[in-house]
Amino acid sequence: MIIGSRPLLCASLALFAYLGGIAEAQESNAERAKQIIEEVDNLYRGDASDARMKMTVETPQYQRTLTMDSATLGRERMLIRILGPKKDRGISTLKQESEMWNYFPKINKVIKVPPSMMMGSWMGSDFNNDDLVRDTDLTEEYVLKLTETSDTFEISLTPKQKTVTVWGRIDYVIDKHARVPISQTYFDDDGEKIRVMSFSENREFSGRTIPSVMEMVPLRKPGHRTVVTFERLQLNPDSVSADLFTLRNLKKRF
Amino acid sequence: MNVQGPALAWQSVLLVRLAFRNILRHRRRTLLTMLSMTGGYILCAAAISLQYGSYGNAIEFFVKDRTGHIQIHEGNYLQRPRIHKAIAEPDDLARRLINDADVIALTTRVFAPSLAYSEHKNAPANVIGVDVDGEAATTTIIAKVHEGEFLTGQADADGYFSALIGMGLADLLKIGGGDELILISVGADGSIANDIFIVRGLVGTRRSADRLNVYLPLGAAQAFLSMGDRVHEFSLIIRNLGDSVAVADRLGGLLPESLSVDPWERVELTFYKTMQADREAMFVTLGIVVFIVCIGVLNTVLMSVLERTREFGVLKAIGTRPGRIAWMVLTENAILSGLSCLLGLFLALPIVGFMTIVGFELAEPMDVGGVLMSHVRGEFSLRIFAVPFALVVTTAVLVSIPPGIRAARILPIQALAST
Repeated sequence: MIIGSRPLLCASLALFAYLGGIAEAQESNAERAKQIIEEVDNLYRGDASDARMKMTVETPQYQRTLTMDSATLGRERMLIRILGPKKDRGISTLKQESEMWNYFPKINKVIKVPPSMMMGSWMGSDFNNDDLVRDTDLTEEYVLKLTETSDTFEISLTPKQKTVTVWGRIDYVIDKHARVPISQTYFDDDGEKIRVMSFSENREFSGRTIPSVMEMVPLRKPGHRTVVTFERLQLNPDSVSADLFTLRNLKKRF
Repeated sequence: MNVQGPALAWQSVLLVRLAFRNILRHRRRTLLTMLSMTGGYILCAAAISLQYGSYGNAIEFFVKDRTGHIQIHEGNYLQRPRIHKAIAEPDDLARRLINDADVIALTTRVFAPSLAYSEHKNAPANVIGVDVDGEAATTTIIAKVHEGEFLTGQADADGYFSALIGMGLADLLKIGGGDELILISVGADGSIANDIFIVRGLVGTRRSADRLNVYLPLGAAQAFLSMGDRVHEFSLIIRNLGDSVAVADRLGGLLPESLSVDPWERVELTFYKTMQADREAMFVTLGIVVFIVCIGVLNTVLMSVLERTREFGVLKAIGTRPGRIAWMVLTENAILSGLSCLLGLFLALPIVGFMTIVGFELAEPMDVGGVLMSHVRGEFSLRIFAVPFALVVTTAVLVSIPPGIRAARILPIQALAST
């Protein structure tokens, strides 16, 4: 009996070894994906950043361009001030952790964005408040699956059971050689494509090659798109410190 | 030469005389039958007068409150309002409309949902930008200003424009005349509209439909919403409210295709349909009342026919045709109901007159768009008296058809043998 069971034992060991190999391969696949996502996620941010951007919102009815300054500190803090056009100058947005406030200088009022408004449009653009506030660690909240082509990494992010999100899946496509994002595609729970963010026109900012243009296209709203162009981006500047991201500073005239 | 004509006329006169003779044969019975029909007529006239009168008042209040007689919008704004669906170059359109023979006044408006803030409170609000002079000329808005004054088109010395706010909003924000009102909305260009206005007056009541409205001068509202000179709505007052559908259709043919022209009946379709359904229900109720009255008439006619079986037998025996006998029975009832209605008309005139001039005071005044309606009044017009007349006479004649046919079918030999 013992002799007779030897081939079975060998086969079992081989199977365990094979399954272990698969698990290891999967783990290393996820680890690699995590590393790439973190790299891309921190691309624009660094530990701190200071940027000047131009945002153009296009709809079938109107086109509007805003210029703005933005500063970030870590993943948790962000301050955006609108510089133009004149009638919007001074409108500012402050993010601290998962909270967000808007300041309107014309009425001298700071208004906290309630959770119910998080999916609402930010300044009439195709980005919503949640895009700005979200400080989700994608690698913790999503299950990552990496596939490679000769030029790209394609990482599919599926939310974990406990993750609170409106997205059913997010597909990242990353330039393998330049290590910069090419696109992010957002799907709903039914697998329908909802919006696509594309990255282009790579430029050198603070020694890093970064796409200077981001285009957000909501697929359910024909004729709508928002293009954000980085005119200046300084990573880890000395001018950005924690005292910049306060409600008092939000109301500061400039 | 036609000899049938004079003979027919003579026969008709004879028929009427016979009918009168039969009506007067049992005077007490005739009087009672007439009284029941007269009562039915008065009831119908009073009910129709009150119904048309109260709806007439409600419609008048309603259209003057906000819809106007006819509205013009860009595309399907009425069904799916969006801030960008606005009418361009409104001044040109206004000039064109005011020169139309049917249009006597017009006003223009812009609309936007908004958030209103006071020092410590906030509430949702409906922003309505109104042409200050046009709105005052076409609507009852001035009558609705309960505290403070109506809007002015000019900014004050500090550059702030005035606002009228609904009583409900004033309560929620705990503000009144002279206080600052902060409004935040989304502009037509996607920007965040935000500005400060000074409350000049309060409109409507705490329960009226305009309780959460904010009225701004048109120019200030257009600037607030980044709309340029565009407007969302033209509201027209025409010479005759009853022509609203025809005039709207005519104007629709004259104006650019992108504009939709709707009479108030289409603008407030639910209200209009509810009103129509209520009217139909009233006519069904009145029909039942008249039918019950005419059941009594049927009984009278049947008795009259049975009593005169021998008489009809004799008439047929001497050669009277069945059709003429049936016709005689119908004529009797037409005369009876006609006389009843004339008596009813005589009695209904002062009743309807009283309801129209004095009306009935409501136990609690009814709020129609912020304007209080304290009385329900009737309508005094030809239709108030003509409709019940036609209803009573037609029903009386219809119910006398079966007895008439019975009388026409009587066989002389059996009739003469009957006791």
